Amino acid sequence: MDKKKTTKEILEEKIKEKGETPLYNQETIKKTKKNFEEWKNTNVSEKDRKTWEVVPQTMLGSGIPRKLLYTPLDAANLDYMEDIGFSGDEPFTRGCYPNMYRGRVFTMRQLSGAGSPENVNKRMKFLLESGSTGTNLALDLPTVQMFDSDEPEAIGQVGTVGVPVDCVQDMETIYDGIPIDEISSSIVTHYPRNTAIIFPMFLVMAEKRGYDWKKLPGSVQNDVTMECIVRRAPEYIPPADAFRVQCDNIEFIRNEVPRWNYITLNGYNLREYGTSSITEMAVAFANGISIIEEMQKRGYDPDWTAERIAFFWSVGNDFFEEVARLRAARRLWYKIMKYRFDSKQPRSQLERCHVQTSGISLQRVEPYNNVIRAAYHALAAILGGCQSLHVDAYTEAYSVPLEEDSLLSLRTQQIINVETGVTQVVDPMAGSFYIENLTDIMEEKILGEIEEIEKQGGYVKIIESGWIHNKISRFIQEERRKIDDGTIKVVGYNYFRQPDVKEPPIRCQEVSEEIRENQIKKLKKWRAERDNDKVESCLGGIVDACKSGENVTYKTLEAARAGATEGEMRRKFTEAFGLWRQPLVL
Amino acid sequence: MSERKIKVLLSAYSLETHSRGIITVASILRDAGMEVVYIGNNRPEEIIESAIQEDADVIGITSMCGGALQLGRELMRIADEKGVKDRIKFVLGGIFPPEEETDLKNIGFELLFKPGATSEEIVEGIKSIVGDTS
Repeated sequence: MDKKKTTKEILEEKIKEKGETPLYNQETIKKTKKNFEEWKNTNVSEKDRKTWEVVPQTMLGSGIPRKLLYTPLDAANLDYMEDIGFSGDEPFTRGCYPNMYRGRVFTMRQLSGAGSPENVNKRMKFLLESGSTGTNLALDLPTVQMFDSDEPEAIGQVGTVGVPVDCVQDMETIYDGIPIDEISSSIVTHYPRNTAIIFPMFLVMAEKRGYDWKKLPGSVQNDVTMECIVRRAPEYIPPADAFRVQCDNIEFIRNEVPRWNYITLNGYNLREYGTSSITEMAVAFANGISIIEEMQKRGYDPDWTAERIAFFWSVGNDFFEEVARLRAARRLWYKIMKYRFDSKQPRSQLERCHVQTSGISLQRVEPYNNVIRAAYHALAAILGGCQSLHVDAYTEAYSVPLEEDSLLSLRTQQIINVETGVTQVVDPMAGSFYIENLTDIMEEKILGEIEEIEKQGGYVKIIESGWIHNKISRFIQEERRKIDDGTIKVVGYNYFRQPDVKEPPIRCQEVSEEIRENQIKKLKKWRAERDNDKVESCLGGIVDACKSGENVTYKTLEAARAGATEGEMRRKFTEAFGLWRQPLVL
Repeated sequence: MSERKIKVLLSAYSLETHSRGIITVASILRDAGMEVVYIGNNRPEEIIESAIQEDADVIGITSMCGGALQLGRELMRIADEKGVKDRIKFVLGGIFPPEEETDLKNIGFELLFKPGATSEEIVEGIKSIVGDTS
């Protein structure tokens, strides 16, 4: 039997065309090299020559060494059309669209905060009135973990870091008065199972309001990485089953809600949990590759599947690396689609991404410094060509953002957009010897890690084996040691720390038990008024579909319509799939 | 006779999704020579039960998304019921509202660690509450 080829092997085999449009004349390069050596030996001190390459010590960095100076020698083999090209054109290094932000500014998509469904509806409207151009729904912890507000595990956590969604009526309250056919809705469902439960509730709300599903724009997360790697929880379903639900959701949404982004491959939370910027992308791409293969088995063309795959990245401290990495990701995904999956359709080759600035890079000590940090993160994301952006609030290490904190984050985006002028020119960093060199290296490293994953049996396998959990744990411990010994410098924390650090008066979100009490009251009434026999039979349908292999999302839709709650549906998945023990690594 | 290591049992409450903090703290405590048992996500009664079985000196709880006070009360009630509240020391780390800090201390968390805490503060703090002056 033929050994299955890795993505790297396929790309190396198929991409051989280089050489039509070399950026540099090799004679010139030769001369430059001679001059460079002379300069280095005479003008650069011995000390600087010895430490010519250094590794920037940043949080969540890649560990890639940087030279003191970059020259055409570091980009000597660049082929303009093959490696860089024009915006909105292959290989998409320069951006997804020809006119980029002149045509459409990145969507300013701030998370909608926390509290009751009523509060969150108000916050969404406030952000939209202040110039936000999309909504971004954060769910509270019980909802994320698929528990109803009245389950004992939910005590103290209803409405604290997001909004509770127990059943369809909460969706009705949250989106009340918001034109969901015009304003795109991002619903941060995290997990495949959660997506299968929550998204149908959104659809039932939409149908009750008379919207045609075919016209609704938006996105869900629907990512196994979130369910089986990043997340801690009291119970898990096996990774292979979570992967199957992920693909059921894709199939359902692609067919029923065609304008919806049915998966947002989430590198963000993985990296923030503890991986390098390279692993972040490698794992997301590996999942993407596995999805397209699974959908091929179900009879769908890769171009059909990939058309609405979106990505979600964390952008952190190492400024140039972040810009280069976003460029590299676009080029690599294009190559994967084109050469591995024989994609014919440009839209399916686009690596479109949402960026959230890195929360873990923000500090509790001297929190106003975080305004500066987040602004740099945001600038890197924009120079890298993101499609939408959330800027973390400077109060990250204190509380979920209050209204004025969210406004400051939105203002950060607006200032970059209209006051700095950076959005007027597409991919302004292109052509820098440094950026192009770093873009090449990032691409190579990401592909290298995809290869490592594939050699171990692929995306689902590295979860089942605990390989990825171990890698994360090692990364976290290593990074912590580097911060402790001052290798990684954090201003105000381990670098020029004030002897007596006083916390400024930062207002935190108030926790109100009332939200849970109200949810419980509403739930009680809801359960009393619905047709409970119907609900039971729909819930049974979920178990049957899980076991038979029939697409389960059609069944959760029926259950949501009948009035089933989130917790009721969660238990049916567990009943059908059984439990998996996530490797607990330290 | 070798001195017994300080034994710390680490846990999150049932629904907590975050674990970067607790993995970090586990490695800090291990590097400082303590024995660490991490039991993942659990209900308060399961945490107390494990701590008794493991004969832990300290219970460290992580809480990032709310519920620290409400679930903390439950944890302390059960510890009291099982007669271990005075023997075991309780430590809490994570993000919790400033106005709850006094209450959290009053119910029995001897140390509260927020995101800015340094490794040294955490290690020294735990040593001091278990009475280890080495």
